[in-house]
Amino acid sequence: MHSHNTPSGRRSVLNWLLGLWGGGVCGAVLYPVARYLAPPEIPEAATQSVMAGSAESLAPNSARAVAFGSRPAIVIRTAAGDLRAFSATCTHLDCTVQYRPDLQRLWCACHNGQYDLNGRNVAGPPPRPLEAFDVNVKDDQIALSRRSG
Amino acid sequence: MRSAWAALIALALWQANGSAQAVDPATAFADDVHAAAGLTCTACHKAQGPGSYAAPARTAIAPLCATCHSDAGYMRRFDPQVRVDQFLQYQTSTHGRRMAAGETRVATCSDCHEAHGITRVRDARSPVAPLNVTMTCARCHGNPSIMKPLGRSAAPPTDWAASVHAAALLQRGDTSAPTCAACHGSHGATPPGVTSVANVCAQCHLRQAELFRASPKKDIFDAIGQPECLVCHNNHRIESPADHWVGVQEGAVCAQCHDASGDSAQAIGTIRQALDGLAASVAAADVSLARAERAGMLVDAGRLALRAAREQQVQARVLVHAFAAEPFNAAAAEGAASARRALDAGEAAFRELQVRRAGLGVATLLIIAFLITLWIKIRRLPDLPSS
Amino acid sequence: MRGVRAWLDERLAFSDVIDALRHKTVPHHRYSVWYYFGGMTLFLFGIQVGTGALLLLYYRPSAAEAYESVQFIVTRVPFGWLVRSIHAWSANLMVACAVAHLFSVLFLHAYRRPRELTWFSGVLLLLLTLAFGFTGYLLPWNEVSFFATRVGTDIAAAVPLMGRGIVRFMRGGDEVTGATLTRLFGFHVAVLPAIASGLVALHLLLVQRHGMSVPPSIERQAVHDPAAVRAMPFIPHFLLRDLFAWTIVLAVLAALSTFYPWELGTKADPFAPAPAGIRPEWYFLWAFESLKHVPPTIAGINGELIAVAVMGAGALAALLLPLLAGHTARARRAVVWVGAVALLFMALMTGLALSAAAP
Repeated sequence: MHSHNTPSGRRSVLNWLLGLWGGGVCGAVLYPVARYLAPPEIPEAATQSVMAGSAESLAPNSARAVAFGSRPAIVIRTAAGDLRAFSATCTHLDCTVQYRPDLQRLWCACHNGQYDLNGRNVAGPPPRPLEAFDVNVKDDQIALSRRSG
Repeated sequence: MRSAWAALIALALWQANGSAQAVDPATAFADDVHAAAGLTCTACHKAQGPGSYAAPARTAIAPLCATCHSDAGYMRRFDPQVRVDQFLQYQTSTHGRRMAAGETRVATCSDCHEAHGITRVRDARSPVAPLNVTMTCARCHGNPSIMKPLGRSAAPPTDWAASVHAAALLQRGDTSAPTCAACHGSHGATPPGVTSVANVCAQCHLRQAELFRASPKKDIFDAIGQPECLVCHNNHRIESPADHWVGVQEGAVCAQCHDASGDSAQAIGTIRQALDGLAASVAAADVSLARAERAGMLVDAGRLALRAAREQQVQARVLVHAFAAEPFNAAAAEGAASARRALDAGEAAFRELQVRRAGLGVATLLIIAFLITLWIKIRRLPDLPSS
Repeated sequence: MRGVRAWLDERLAFSDVIDALRHKTVPHHRYSVWYYFGGMTLFLFGIQVGTGALLLLYYRPSAAEAYESVQFIVTRVPFGWLVRSIHAWSANLMVACAVAHLFSVLFLHAYRRPRELTWFSGVLLLLLTLAFGFTGYLLPWNEVSFFATRVGTDIAAAVPLMGRGIVRFMRGGDEVTGATLTRLFGFHVAVLPAIASGLVALHLLLVQRHGMSVPPSIERQAVHDPAAVRAMPFIPHFLLRDLFAWTIVLAVLAALSTFYPWELGTKADPFAPAPAGIRPEWYFLWAFESLKHVPPTIAGINGELIAVAVMGAGALAALLLPLLAGHTARARRAVVWVGAVALLFMALMTGLALSAAAP
């Protein structure tokens, strides 16, 4: 039986404590590393492309708002059935545009600016067209990506 | 910045007082669109001798220009789309009517378009190009020594220069912003009628106009003969509206007609409270997010929510023009919810920071315990031999 | 356990190495506390390799994605903020440790025969550490690092004849672009680590071969006072003290990363004008500041060129120190004076640069 007061007893208690705290320190290092190595929920930064929901559930002549990185974007299914996507930031004073099914245009509520379905500014104050994004559908998921170049 | 533009207008007036024609006509005419179209001096002037031409009488200038510019068949040769109703419009304008009655101190074609060196309106050098036209009008309309004898105020150009529209046009170069011509007309320039100026505002501020016209105010304002937008927003000196305009206390815009006694006072009070509350939550969310960012946390989702809150705040402010509780309350509530989300994101980030510091605390305690034990072990090691 | 050890020993033949280590001693004297700085630098290098490898799992070395990938690491990856901040802080601590190590070796004259090769490899390792810092600094592709890289590579243009070529080599072109990012990334994660690993191995081998140097003053003292130098067993005395120092470094790193996390900055925009007050990392500040105080021409020659030449000569002299320094006590005192002046100069210039930027 160990006597904790003999030199060897004290040494082994000391070594045991050292092992305990040392193990704790190692754990404090290895735990963050292990968590870091496991892939996070969202596997990559949404800089170049972002998912925009189900394609089927987007009816003709309607639109869906989506966040692309930290700026708003809008996906539109035209009356003819094709998908278009644009940055939803109005080029006049940065308000967020919306889709008007009655006009079949993008409309900015702030100063009545309008963009056609090619993103071109066709009425009101906006000075420039909206940035257009590429739209792809895979497995019913819409993916928006920035146009390169 | 606005006072700088007011100063610039004053400078333009000073210059206008001095030089009528600073440049020699023959040199200026080299840049003229008429010269480019093949016209020469005799197209407008009677020759008086070699190289010398008589200037037309001021009352004769507009009819002279109209001989070509009102002839659709003639003008079509140079520009099929150009308008030919300028003279007709001029005749309906205050300038035109007074000139026809013999008052020569009012504007005619050459005062705004220059006599020689006339360029297209869309040419940036033109005195009637969108960025320049307000300075041109201000040459007379901002000059008290010209306006007083005609019985008018010289204040409008300086008032306009202090407006948000002037800031948009002159500082941001936003040519969609209204100039004098946008509301008053250019050739048909006349102070707009009480009922018609709102139609001009409505071209850009469509939502506010639609809401106003559907609201109880429309009939009331028609009945008392007051212009829609101008009563609250002024005509020339249009400044950024503020939340504290809403209210029945001294200094609030609604107090012009409403007082604390009527039922409307309660509705006004509720709207004001909601606006103030929304502004306060947006500000609080901003502070919380900034605090988290300064501490090194990144809060993109919170910033997105704050952006949405700010847009909903703009929406709510627009919905004030419905002058009723309902669509306003819904928008204000949405804004408050977004601001709340932004605030929560900031607080969550700050809490996460505390969690990190707590984690550090635990790790540091473990390290300190380890160091102490290690230190004891080192002390307990056998002593070093002395040689 | 003993069976496993015997099996390995038969194949790897390490039991004589272990025996040698068991008997190895380290001199213990008044100045031996300075011995730990080498080990701390090595520890920090290990941390850089580890955290660097972890960062590599998520980082993207292109101008379009670098900033966003670092932002991703810091916000979305669990403990990504910690790994990134440790990597950044450890880089700075490593430079500081390496400089402390160099100056302690200088002042204690450990460069003298037969340790010249150890000194050469050490100076090269310091230069490599600075190169690691310079190449790594651009990788987050934020405004500060973009312009600091531009300013830093501009200085190379002052070198005569080869200057233009050196700048093009460093930048992957005439300007700092995405090509620069990819190139410096390649240097930072492949080329420099390969060279550094070789040099570190050589350096450690030499240290092991020659043991720790005892300063001449202590050697002289030991002649009449044996207690001036005592033999400390490597295992366990020195090792445990090393472990102690390394654990403190770990604690400092963790605290710095939590209370002063490394900032993300704003994404680099090559077309924006340089913001005011751009400067390189603190360990380059002394050179940066010195260049600012150099007159435009000295005796008709471009001032900047002269300054760069002087710095180059200084670096060369530092590298060749063991060959240039004499063996007499007087020569050694001269070395101490030169080293102190150099250290003071660099500290002064760094302080000047920092105080200019502060308000």
